[in-house]
Amino acid sequence: MKQYGKYLFLLPGLLVLTLFMIIPIAGTILSTFFDAGSFTLAGYMQYLQDPYFLNILWVTLRTSLLTTLICILLAFPAAYYISKCRPRMKMILLLLSIFPLLTSPVVRSFSWMVILGKGGIIDNTMALFGSDTSISILYTPTAILIGLVHLFLPLSIITLVGVMENIGDDVVEAAKSLGASASTTFWHILLPLSVPGLMTGSILVFVGSFTAYTTPALLGGRESVISTFLYQNAVTLNDWQLASVVATIMIVLSFVVIGIMNWLAGKVAVRGGNIRG
Amino acid sequence: MSHVSLQNVAVAYQKTNILENFNLDIPEGELVSLLGPSGCGKTTTLRLVAGFLQSHQGSIQVGGKDYTTVPVNKRNFGFVFQNYALFPHMSIFDNIAFGLRQRKVSKKDTYTKVMEMLELVGLQHFENRFPKELSGGQKQRVAIARALVINPDLLLFDEPLSNLDANLRVSMRSEIRRIQQESGIAAIYVSHDQEECFSISDRVAIMNKGVIEQLDHPAAIYHRPRTSFVASFIGFKNFLRFDRRSENGQKPIFYKGDSTFAVSYEKDTGSMTGVIRPDDIRIKPAGPPVTENELSGTIITAIFLGRSYQYEVKTEHGSFTANQEMTIPFQSGDSVVLDMPPHKWVLVEESEVPSYAG
Amino acid sequence: MANRWLGFVTLLVFTFLLGPLVIMLVSSFGEAGVLQFPPENWSLKWYANIFQGSMFMTAFQTSILVSFAGNMLALLVGLPAAYAMSRFQFKGKAFLQTLFISPVLIPGIVLGFALLRYIIVTFQIPVYTALFIGHTIIMLPFIVRVISSNLDNFDFSIEEAAVSLGASRVGAFFRIVLPNIKSGIIAGVLIAFLESFNNVDISVFMTGPGVSTLPIQMLTYVENYFDPTIAALSVLLMALTAVLMFVIERLVGISYFTKK
Ligand SMILES: Nc1ncnc2c1ncn2[C@@H]1O[C@H](COP(=O)(O)OP(=O)(O)OP(=O)(O)O)[C@@H](O)[C@H]1O
Ligand SMILES: [Mg+2]
Repeated sequence: MKQYGKYLFLLPGLLVLTLFMIIPIAGTILSTFFDAGSFTLAGYMQYLQDPYFLNILWVTLRTSLLTTLICILLAFPAAYYISKCRPRMKMILLLLSIFPLLTSPVVRSFSWMVILGKGGIIDNTMALFGSDTSISILYTPTAILIGLVHLFLPLSIITLVGVMENIGDDVVEAAKSLGASASTTFWHILLPLSVPGLMTGSILVFVGSFTAYTTPALLGGRESVISTFLYQNAVTLNDWQLASVVATIMIVLSFVVIGIMNWLAGKVAVRGGNIRG
Repeated sequence: MSHVSLQNVAVAYQKTNILENFNLDIPEGELVSLLGPSGCGKTTTLRLVAGFLQSHQGSIQVGGKDYTTVPVNKRNFGFVFQNYALFPHMSIFDNIAFGLRQRKVSKKDTYTKVMEMLELVGLQHFENRFPKELSGGQKQRVAIARALVINPDLLLFDEPLSNLDANLRVSMRSEIRRIQQESGIAAIYVSHDQEECFSISDRVAIMNKGVIEQLDHPAAIYHRPRTSFVASFIGFKNFLRFDRRSENGQKPIFYKGDSTFAVSYEKDTGSMTGVIRPDDIRIKPAGPPVTENELSGTIITAIFLGRSYQYEVKTEHGSFTANQEMTIPFQSGDSVVLDMPPHKWVLVEESEVPSYAG
Repeated sequence: MANRWLGFVTLLVFTFLLGPLVIMLVSSFGEAGVLQFPPENWSLKWYANIFQGSMFMTAFQTSILVSFAGNMLALLVGLPAAYAMSRFQFKGKAFLQTLFISPVLIPGIVLGFALLRYIIVTFQIPVYTALFIGHTIIMLPFIVRVISSNLDNFDFSIEEAAVSLGASRVGAFFRIVLPNIKSGIIAGVLIAFLESFNNVDISVFMTGPGVSTLPIQMLTYVENYFDPTIAALSVLLMALTAVLMFVIERLVGISYFTKK
């Protein structure tokens, strides 16, 4: 087959991606650097000094970091337990983790509104104990955090189960045969070997929660995160310049995080040797 | 006139030439195998003939027709793949019928031909099974039947038996030979199993780095390798480069230092390199002074091979390997004399000898 | 001992994951106009309410149509690309592989905004068409990824065998390759469908007169009302999700999700 023939197969896809992804994204990014035809960084200067915007950025970063951390802490033991289960039980637990993953984020966030909202279950329970002021954590950063953990926990669990299955029983058995206790095996064998997968999972969770829209939009109320801020500026306020600046910042930050984590994961993987030859 | 003829073909992958000025002729009905070390271009040659690769020069003719630019699906050659390549989603019947259906053969004829083929390869009543329900050997029979049923102008085999166990390989190869001879279709057979090639082929081509170094009948290759590469590839472990030669009537004598060797040959190529198999050297305890075709040395290692012992013997002209059956073996350090009779020597042309062959 | 502790944490994790969904499921059958748990009286009226009026029905139709059409286009351009990337060696392959996956790497909200700005405003493409294009883009990576992983396990000498027996390249693809990666393709299509059907980030920018997908319609509804209609609708969507999940599991096995 001629060399060019091969590219023919890719052409339709490339055309679609170029027209409807590369051009719009590149256009958005480039537009932030030009004002009336001349190069400028004024847009960035302006917003990176605006305390309101910086606060939103900070809240978003903090929430994503916390989400990532909580997801790891909860997912790791759960994934370890699942990977040790008998096949049937493992299958059931995996399906139970996959189900939320495939369920609409609108549905999942809404289910928390039912619990956290005014007249929701928590509110009602408090009333039962005689608390007369109806309190609600809906529309607070905490609500966003809960929603995001709920959104990304299944992904963390499933990624980690995959990693732990890949480690394989032979390594664990080897450790045991050498006299390692269950906890030694966990801390010295399983945990270090899981690190590359843990990192991959964390990238997904961090970037995912940093850019998530639906959950903060439903559970955050007036409390903005960067994605809802972008939406407000683009649609409600029609400030495209600002929206584009925010969009660019989101892309850059996402890619920087992906880059750093990939680099770190690469380092760890090289040092630890790759699992499974 | 030969049935298959490759003239000056050439193939390159990413600008690296794999085959260059490559020539091969095969008479009607003959099975030629390509034998050579890994990476020497056997598969490449076969895929070129099949049409999966294009030659950027020269020509390929089969049965007097030029095939150089004919696409694969218009060639009517049967290809048998190393991993069988059966269609997993089709029954055995449909697998074998596939080629006939491409040729728009009538339903009735298709049925008859497929059934004939199943019988030929000994798989009657298997037509409704699926590939995953067959053993390796049975799959390979289906693959052969599938290639054969289209009544191809040429059969191509790429290591068809390498995924089978040793016993099955032996019985399958005689079956392939039987089927090929019965059908009378010329075939090219790739393998890197020497014994398999020798037992199955009319002629064997020994390849090295994209070049056929020798194309000959199996026995001729075995006894009379033409180059040092071929010699080492088929088990001549001992090489001796002579210093000079003298014609002494009908008996040419070769000299290496103080040693003299009488060497008999059919055709004088003027070559100065002699090779001899480990099996053809006789080892005697040191004693009387050495004469013509003898060399004294010391045993370095002795390895038990089962039927015989293999000795590594150090001599003034380098180390020699010799096999010998004995009840009381030599020990390392023993002084011995190597006896290398004139008719066991073969004179070869120098060619590049791959390092593993030593 | 350690196992007990792990089991307990796992139990908590799954309670956290599934509890809210279960609570919503139960509350959706309440009679009261606000969500109660457990409800005092039971009723199916909120389920009936979904089908009252055209609000959700139209949005549902739009969602189905956009996801389906986008899926077909993504398959049409994604299948040959996935095939070429598994089958051939060529320059720039790694880059192209990343490019075809990149729509999932770009934040959805950013892609949505960029599409609004350039596709709808600059290129003047109608909202409905833009919605379809946007969904095609987000489905492409899922289609390409699932099909690629199927093709990577496919032994292409089978295709060559077909060609050597006289099939044309195109014929061999449709009669030999396609039937063997069929389940992968269906799984890819279903996963992409769910991704598109649930999408908010792109669709939220692409609403117009009479054009809105179901998730966006639900968001709008929640902003204004807090009755159990959305809970009832959510339950129906969860049922749909569960059915599709089992189909995907049948087709490619659970390992599709765990082995990335
Ligand atoms: N698709 C390819 N791209 C680049 N180089 C290739 C390709 N296929 C084969 N080669 C190179 O061509 C040379 C010949 O390969 P070929 O497959 O013909 O060897 P072979 O004799 O069949 O070896 P083996 O006994 O291992 O099957 C090798 O050096 C190989 O690395
Ligand atoms: Mg080969």
